Amino acid sequence: MIPNAKTCLYPKDPPQAVSLLQEHGKRALILAGGTTAALSHDPEVEVLIDISRMGCDAIEPQGGGWRVGCNVRLQRIASHAGLAGLWGGVLSQAAAAVGSRPIRNAVTLGGNLVQIFRWSDTPVALLAMGARLELLGPRGPRSVGADEFYARHPRQVLEPAELLVAVQAASPVGKAGGAFIKYARTAVDLAVADAAACLRVEGGRCVEARLAIGATRALPWRASEAEALLTGQALTPARLGEAAALARKACKPVGDARTDKAYRERMVEVVARRALERAVANLQERA
Amino acid sequence: MDIHVTVNGRPEVWQAAPGESALELIRRLGYTSVKRGCSQGDCGACTILVDGQAMRACLLVAAQLEGRAVTTAEGLGSLDRPHPLQRAFVDAGAVQCGFCTPGMLLASQALLVETPRPDATAVREALDGNLCRCTGYKKIVEAVLLAAERMA
Repeated sequence: MIPNAKTCLYPKDPPQAVSLLQEHGKRALILAGGTTAALSHDPEVEVLIDISRMGCDAIEPQGGGWRVGCNVRLQRIASHAGLAGLWGGVLSQAAAAVGSRPIRNAVTLGGNLVQIFRWSDTPVALLAMGARLELLGPRGPRSVGADEFYARHPRQVLEPAELLVAVQAASPVGKAGGAFIKYARTAVDLAVADAAACLRVEGGRCVEARLAIGATRALPWRASEAEALLTGQALTPARLGEAAALARKACKPVGDARTDKAYRERMVEVVARRALERAVANLQERA
Repeated sequence: MDIHVTVNGRPEVWQAAPGESALELIRRLGYTSVKRGCSQGDCGACTILVDGQAMRACLLVAAQLEGRAVTTAEGLGSLDRPHPLQRAFVDAGAVQCGFCTPGMLLASQALLVETPRPDATAVREALDGNLCRCTGYKKIVEAVLLAAERMA
């Protein structure tokens, strides 16, 4: 409930949304799926801006990859046939891992990426895919990589009145695979730890490796030591295990009501290893 | 603000504060089949259909319903003319205290529109957001499968 909201505006397209955000500044709150907004109680908010009717709700092939609009609901991503073939379906798997069915019916990709919590699942997949985020602000459109978007809190990366409008992910060329693994106490609980891996192989050796870890700190992160260990090497089970151990070493997790630091650290190694193993298992050749 | 909604097939104009909880609003207007359970998105007792999609009313604010079609259990059937799902819930013994039942029915209805002949796994997946503390779920799943069979 947003106690002091007096009105709600419904922009018809992204430029209109941006100008409304400019006009109302800090008094405005964006509604997309609304799941976070509905439980917020910010007394400063006077204007709601419902961006769910401004389009940006397509999943479309683009330049050999996919472009997903910010308003696409997670359930659609989880069950989309095309995205299931992108990097082994890592984004679909991350979307399917979020909450329960009615939550995924409401939550939008843009909301899940920007309104980020420590345990948010889809940002981990974006880091692993090396995706790009399309932004639109008062100074026009720009595109930032997932690494840059999550180097700080996305709200600090976004300029005032700037919106995330879509995500772009290129399909890998050649033999590639990917997977997302979440470990939580129940099927609908928030993650204790999660990991996404994307691997590309040429001539029996790994030529591209990205391993992203979520739920351990304020922001998801890349396990760069693990990635370096895999790059240029044959992806043997032993090497995947070593890489997962490096992710554990680097993770420096927080403890919370769900689990303490020590257990979370152990689970990081487990999800990292499983994500790498599953990515190797679904390596597929693509022209 | 005025909120224009189609509720259970009937157009209505609701007076609401734009930022108030859709759950509180809907209940205030008399649609008390929409249950207030946890009020934080965990239990599914307040499940409604918004444009045919099962969503939690407690995780929506009133303004989001503008222009949408809302379905509550009141719109499914009545005592005299129960919906096949309601009939099947009774016949299969899927109701004990009944608090979760409206949410279960609506989540099941959304499933059957999309997938008229689901298997048990699909039913369980569609109901993964609805908690029941009485039945152990088995009879609920059986009820949905029974309704699907009867509606085929």
